[in-house]
Amino acid sequence: MDKAIVIENLSKMYKNNRGIQDINLEIEQGEIFGFLGPNGAGKTTAMKVMVGLMKADKGDVKINGFSIADDYEKAMKDVGCIIENVTPFPYLTAFENMQLRGRFNKEVNEIRIDECLEITGIIKYKNEKIKNYSLGMKQRLGVAMAILPNPKIIILDEPFNGLDVEGMVEMRELIMSMSKQQKTTFFISSHLIHDIELTCHKVGILYNGKLIGVDSTHNILKNYSTLENYYLSEVDLNGEY
Amino acid sequence: MENIKAVFINEIIKISKKKKITAALIFSLLTVIAAAIAEYFISNFAGIRVTGSSEFSIMILTILSYSLFPLFTAFICIDMFAGEFADDTIKFTLTGPASRFKVFLGKIFAAAAFIIFNLIFVMIISVVASLFINNFIPNLFKIIVSYIMAFLPIFIFALAVIMISNLARSTTGSFMLSIFIFLMFIGLGLAFPLIKSFLFTSSFDWYRLILGSYINYGKIFRIFLILFGYGIMLCASGYYLFEKKDI
Repeated sequence: MDKAIVIENLSKMYKNNRGIQDINLEIEQGEIFGFLGPNGAGKTTAMKVMVGLMKADKGDVKINGFSIADDYEKAMKDVGCIIENVTPFPYLTAFENMQLRGRFNKEVNEIRIDECLEITGIIKYKNEKIKNYSLGMKQRLGVAMAILPNPKIIILDEPFNGLDVEGMVEMRELIMSMSKQQKTTFFISSHLIHDIELTCHKVGILYNGKLIGVDSTHNILKNYSTLENYYLSEVDLNGEY
Repeated sequence: MENIKAVFINEIIKISKKKKITAALIFSLLTVIAAAIAEYFISNFAGIRVTGSSEFSIMILTILSYSLFPLFTAFICIDMFAGEFADDTIKFTLTGPASRFKVFLGKIFAAAAFIIFNLIFVMIISVVASLFINNFIPNLFKIIVSYIMAFLPIFIFALAVIMISNLARSTTGSFMLSIFIFLMFIGLGLAFPLIKSFLFTSSFDWYRLILGSYINYGKIFRIFLILFGYGIMLCASGYYLFEKKDI
C-alpha cells in the first residue's frame, strides 16, 4: 500500500520545554489512524505541524509524498482538516462558510455543499449565521467543510467534541464508510478511547511529546481486553519519560 | 493564480458582510453632504467662494485622505489579520490549499480593492455634489488623476497596518499602534520639515502636484519612488511576520 502520511523525526518544542520530540510515523492510504494521549501530550502540536499551521524545529511531514514544508500546496491539495476547534466565520452563514472553502476547488458546487451539510445533519440550518450555532453544530459544520472537496486525507483533532451520542455514532459511521468506500485516510486525535477503539484501524499513543507505541487495533485487542488497558500499560511502561 | 483569486474573492465577501463597510460608505457620504451644504451656504449667503467646481472633489479628497480613508482602511486591514488571529478564524484560511504567500497576496489585493472602491464611491458622489453647487461640469480629468494618485499613499498606510497587525498580539493593540504611528509620522513631518519628504504621511495629498499650471514631474517621480520603496519594505516585512507566525 502507498503511504498517505509519513512523519519523520518530527520535533517542535515550546519555550516551556513542552512539545513533541522525534516522532516517526507512517500511515497507509485508506487507514483510520487514532492518535491517543492525555491533555498536553502534544497531539494538537503534532497536527498543527502536519497541516502547516506551525513550523517544525526538526523533521518533516510528507502528505501524499509531498513535504508540507517545501511543497505546501501539493501536500494540502487533497487534505481536509479540523485542528483544535472549529472556527468558522461567525458573521457568515454555514452555506457561506462552505462556499469560502469550496472556492479552492473547481468540482465543488452548491449541490456538493448541500450534500455535505445533509450528511452532517445541519442542512436545515444552512442559512443561519454561525454565531447562533451550538458547539455540536459547529463541530458538524467543521466535518462538512473537511469532507467538502472529497479529500483523500482527513485530519481531525477531537472530532467528537461537543457532539451528542447520536452525533458521535453518525460521525463514526461516516468516517468508517468513507474509509471503506472511498479509501479516505483518516488521522484522528481523541481522548475518547472507546470511540478510537470502535473507529480506528491503527492507534498511536503520544505521551509527554513522545510516541510511545503504535500498533493495529486488531493486534492490541488480541493481547488486551480493551484499548484502555493497552493505553494504561504503555503509559506505565514509559512512565520514566 | 487560482488560489490567489479564491483567497481574494473570499476576503472581498468577508469584507462586504461586515458592518464596517456600510459605516465607511455612510460616513463618507455624510462628509460629502455636510461639505456640500457648507460650501453652498458660504458661497451663496456669505458671498465667499470656497472652492471651484473641480476643487470641491479635491477638497473632499484632502479631508478624507487624512481622516476616514486611513481610519476605515486600518479597520479592514486589522480585521483581515489581527482580527482573524485573535478569534482563530485564520486557521480556516491557512489550512486551505493556498500557501501563506498566496493568502497574504490575496488579502493585500482585497485591501487594495477596498481602498479603490471607497475612492471611486467618494469621487462619484463628490462630483455629483459639485454639479449641484456650481452648476457646471468640473474638470473630470484632474479629479480622476487626483483620486488615482491618492490610492498609493493610502495603500502604503494599509501595508503599514498589515505589518503592525502581524506584529501586535491583539486587534486593539494593532489599532492603537497604527494610529500612534500615523500621528507620530504626521507630528514628525510638522516638527522636522527637513525629513518631511521621507515620511509617507506627508504624501497623502501629493496629487496637489498635478493641480497647478506648472507640473513638477521630477518631484512626482521622486515621491513615487519613495512610496514605492515604502511599499516594498512594508510588504516584505509584513509577509515575513505572517509566514513566520505559528498559529
